[in-house]
Formats: sequence, structure tokens, C-alpha cells
Amino acid sequence: MRAERILVNAGKTLAVLLLLVWSLFPIVFIITSSFKPGREIFAVPPQWLFEPTFDHYITLWQRWAVFFHGLLNSTIVTIGAAALAVVASTCAGYVYSRYSSRWLGASLLSLIAIRLIPPIVVTLPLFPIVNNLGLADTHFILSVLYATFFVSLGTVLMRTFVDQIPRELDEAASMDGATLPVILWRIIMPLAAPGIIAVAVFVVVFAWNEFLFAFIFTSTKAKTAPLVISEMIGSIEGVDWGVLFAASTIQLLPVLIFVMLMNRYLVAGLTAGATKG
Amino acid sequence: MSESNAFRLTRRHFLGTVAGGIALMAAGPSFAQSKTLQVLSHRVHQTSLGEGDKDLLADWKQDHDTDVVFTTLDSNPLMDRLFREASLAQTDFSVGYMVDNRPTSDNAKLFESLQEYQDKDPIEAFDDIAAGLVRGMTIDGRLIGIPVRTATQGLFYNEELLAEAGFDAPPTTLEELVAQTIAISEHGKATGMILASDLAVFPVMFARAFGGDFINSDFELLPDPAAMESALTVLADMFQKGALPRSYATNKGEELLTWMQQGRAAFCVLPFARAAQLNDPAVSNYAGKIKAIGFPISETLKGKAEMSAVVEAWAMTIPANAVDKDLAWQFIKEVSSKKNTLGMALNGNGPARVSTFLEPELTAKNALAEIESQVLSNARGAFPPFAEAARAQQIFIEEVQLAVLGRKSPQDAVAAMQTRIQPLLPA
Repeated sequence: MRAERILVNAGKTLAVLLLLVWSLFPIVFIITSSFKPGREIFAVPPQWLFEPTFDHYITLWQRWAVFFHGLLNSTIVTIGAAALAVVASTCAGYVYSRYSSRWLGASLLSLIAIRLIPPIVVTLPLFPIVNNLGLADTHFILSVLYATFFVSLGTVLMRTFVDQIPRELDEAASMDGATLPVILWRIIMPLAAPGIIAVAVFVVVFAWNEFLFAFIFTSTKAKTAPLVISEMIGSIEGVDWGVLFAASTIQLLPVLIFVMLMNRYLVAGLTAGATKG
Repeated sequence: MSESNAFRLTRRHFLGTVAGGIALMAAGPSFAQSKTLQVLSHRVHQTSLGEGDKDLLADWKQDHDTDVVFTTLDSNPLMDRLFREASLAQTDFSVGYMVDNRPTSDNAKLFESLQEYQDKDPIEAFDDIAAGLVRGMTIDGRLIGIPVRTATQGLFYNEELLAEAGFDAPPTTLEELVAQTIAISEHGKATGMILASDLAVFPVMFARAFGGDFINSDFELLPDPAAMESALTVLADMFQKGALPRSYATNKGEELLTWMQQGRAAFCVLPFARAAQLNDPAVSNYAGKIKAIGFPISETLKGKAEMSAVVEAWAMTIPANAVDKDLAWQFIKEVSSKKNTLGMALNGNGPARVSTFLEPELTAKNALAEIESQVLSNARGAFPPFAEAARAQQIFIEEVQLAVLGRKSPQDAVAAMQTRIQPLLPA
């Protein structure tokens, strides 16, 4: 019996280790390669011990200044998209939670249906419209598009959270003279914070890494970092792998740190309402 | 709930803040400069023109009171974007760089005919620009692009690996090349040759070495099927004898440099311009030992025909819906000048002007300039542009892979190419 338990535990540990290696290997490879001398990145057999160098980061800074401009654009767009999505999803989630009608039910279904449409379907027809409106190559259009694609999911998530907040709290606040925005701001938002963070994490991860919309709708002023990285992979000049890995590391780290910090809330957000009877 | 709380956030304040924020973000484009020439290109086109103190266009910008803003993308996304921009009612991009395997009868109509501009205000020594490249950008009699960059394929070899396997000179015929790759592989230190299986360039080069082709400029598919069969037979033999890596079917174009830099392969087909990266001591284990020659022709044709290597060329176009076409032409004229063609060549750009290859400044800096010039004189694109070119290339690659891996005989693969690709060609 004891031997069986040991075997089961060993199996579990091995499975977890394999999963860890599978998940972490690409990230570790990218980060370590960004500090390896160029000749050692793809050396056969692989060089696990090496003298770290910042050369690739220096080259990135010198030759690809546009990447750092892209990072700034990514930051602006990501913050804008997250803010828009959170505000819209919270307001909509509140409405779907507190009110009910046939039309509201139908609109919730349509929100989910819209989420199922592949982005490319709406992207290309939008291109001439966005150009005619003079919104091409602006942070605004990317923020709105990214937020739009997550409002449906965010709304469903936020409705689940708001459902868990007793209506009596709204009613008590209302009796005290609080207006609807105040109820949302002072009562709902603080209590639904894990849900808001979960929505924000989804939008941030998506907006930070998104390529298609950025490719279609930006040129220079709002060009995001993933677009610059895609140029580095281009085959005309040959790939400078060290610089590419340095850029990928810089691109990866902020969102990785953000997700790790928010992981606790993300799990709470995703499991909200799971055990509701 | 206190009174102060009730006034901290009213619906009006909230909506006002959101509307104000949206208006501020939307107002972004209005900060753009008044006289700006927008150029859509690959980054390599921008960097070859230099930056800062070494900006080749500095005087031109000053004289024309114009700022040139490049929007850069990788090759395929760039072409997608260029055609999409050109199909709008109006585009902000006045100049777009186009690769020569893209213009077709249909999409060429989206671009200005540049002959009228050339007649009115000619480019300096226009005849010096390689005639074949100009022909490639002349669609249905309309010149739609001025060639500006070439990437001619050469045969790179690692002289140290060759010497270790007992060869003191690179091959002069295709048969010698095959023998050397097999001998080097048998020697055991490196694979004879690395080729990317996802590109048509390589089998096309082998077919041309036997006097054949994939699709010629008259849209004739496999003009000499026996030559293509010979090419596939040679490649299959190389694979079987280990002169191509076992990973041939998954080797991509981006890996070729790494294989050569690491000394994992002795031969490779790449544009001549890659010599600098292959011999860069920071990334190459064989810096200074990787040389290049023109791809050798089969001994059966040696002295009877010239090898026609694959060349890819880029040209500058003006979308018909561009806002400032005259300024765009002035830019194209300036970039195409002899002085700037040399300046770009010194920055690593493959020149479109024949005379530039002979400039002492360039030959002093680039030892391969003369060889490249000779190879370019008889080079042409891998295949001509047509609407279904992408699908045709995909089928071609698929059949080549099956033949090289031994899953199909070269004869069957060639027969399948004919059956599957012929319907895709223009009538």
C-alpha cells in the first residue's frame, strides 16, 4: 500500500515536471539565448554554461529604436483597451445581473455570438471605414477594437461576479441617496474587484501580443511591438537571432510579471459562480 | 452614503471624462507634420538609405522641405498592405516598394505608369538600370516600378570544410558540386549542403543548371521536363546519400545562415549579400572562410549555355491613388541616382545599376561585387508573377519534396506538376 502511494506520488511529480519543462522550455530558451554570445545560441551540442553578454540588448537599442517606440505604443494601447473593456464590461455586467427582460436575454446571447466571429471577418471591411474616418494609425482605434473583442466575455464574467453581490447593498445605498454611478463606483466595483482584474488580465494579455489588428490599422505612430518583432523575423536580411531573442524577452517580461502578480485574482475570476447552486 | 460621495462621480462627469478622453485620443493624427512623404517599404530599404549623419537623402529632404516617413513591414505583409492601400479611394503612401514577383495585369492597374514621369523629368542614366529588371516591372507595356534592389542567389561554400574533405577548390560543374557534397557528408564533420524545402528557389536553380526551368517568362510550365527530372534525381540522390540533412523536409529559409555559421553544412544557396553575416566573427564559427561563387551549370551544358541564377528584385512604385505623386517621383529619382545607388550598395543593398558593381569604392568593400555582377547579368526571377503564382509554387514545392524524400519518382513528380499546375497558369 505504501509502495503504491510512493509510486503514485512519483508519477504525479514526474508528470508535473514534464509539464513544467514543456511549458517553461521555450521561455527559458528565449531568455537565456538573449544573453548568449551570437555564436553559441544554436551551437551543437547546446551550450548550457556561457558567459552572459548584453550585446544583443545594446544592438537592439542601437539598431531597432523603433522597437522601444513600439513598446510605448503597446503600453498605451493595452492600458486604453483594458480601461475601456473593464468599464464597459462592469456596466454591462451590472445591467445583466440586476435587470431582466426578454430583450436583455437576447442581447446577451448576441454578445456571445459576436465573440465567436473570427476577427479577420470584421477586420478587412473595417479597413476602408477606419481610413475614411481618419482613425488609422491611432492608439484610439486599436484600444477600441481590442476592448470590443473582450467586452462580451468580460460582460458575462462580470455578471457572474455582480450576481454574487447581494442586491440589498445596492438598495441600501440607493435609500441613502446614492446615484447609479456612485453605486457602481463605491459598492459594485470594490466588491467585484477580482472579476475586474480577471477581465483586465485577459485584455492586457491579448492587447499586448495582438498582431492582426495592429498590422491592418497602424503604420508608424501607433505601431506596436509585435509588429516590429515580426520585421526582425523577416527573411530579406537574415535573422539576427540574438537581437530577436532580446526583443522577445523584453516583450515577454512585463506581461509575464503582470499575469504572475494577478494570478490569484485570475483564478478567483475564472472560478466565480462555479459552485453556485 | 455621504453627500460628498454622491458628488464625486456623477453620470455627467463620467460621460464627459470618457468623451474627452476619446476625443483626445482621436485627435492624435492632427499632430502630423504638414509636408511629409509617406513610404511603404521593408526595413532594409530604409536602412540602406542611411540615417542621421549618414542619411543619403539629407540634402534632398532639405531642398524639398520634406520629411520622409517610412512604414516598414516584412515582405509578405508589406505586399498585402501595399495592394490594400492602393485599392482605397486615396492612400497616404506616395511611394510603395514592390517585389518583382507580385505585379500582375490586374493589380498593376493600381499603380501609376511611370514612363510619363520618366519622359518629363528623367532619372539619371536610366539605361544603366539592368534592362531585365526594368522589363520585370513593365506590365502590359506600362512601366510601374523603378528597380532599386536586387538579391542574386550565389553558391556559398565553407573552404575549411572543403579542404578537410580533400578539396582545394570549389566545384566548377553541378556534377562536381554533388560529388563534393557527398564526400563532405561521408567525411562526417558536416552535412554537404543545406537547402530550405519551403522555397522554390533551390529546385529552380538545380533545374536551370540542366537547362530547364519551372515556369519561364512566356508562362511555359516546365519548358524542359527532362531537365527538371534530372534536377529532382540529383536532389533525391543527395538526400539518400546524406548530402542533404535528414531534416530536409522541415528546413526553413531562416535556418540556412545558422547552419553555415555553425559549420553544420558546407554548401548553401543564398543571396550574395549574406556574405557579411556568414563571415561575421560575432555570430559565425567560420568567419572569413565562407566564400561564394556563381551556381555551377551541368557539365553537359558547360561552354554551351550560361547558368541563369535566380534573382529577386524590388522596385519603387507610386500608387495611382497617392496624394503627392510629383513629390513621390522626385523621391524615386533621387533614390535611383548613381550617387545614391552606390551609397545604398555600400550599406549592403544589391544595386539595380550595372555600373555600380564596377565602382572601386564598392569592389574595395565587397569582394563578391564582380562575381555578383556577372551572375546578375544572366539572372532572372524564380518564376513570373501571375494571379495563382502562390498556389503554383506551393504545388511545385510539394512535388519536389515528395521526389527528394523518395516518396515519388522524379518522373511521377514532374508529371504531377504538369497536371496540377497547368490549369493555374494564365490563358
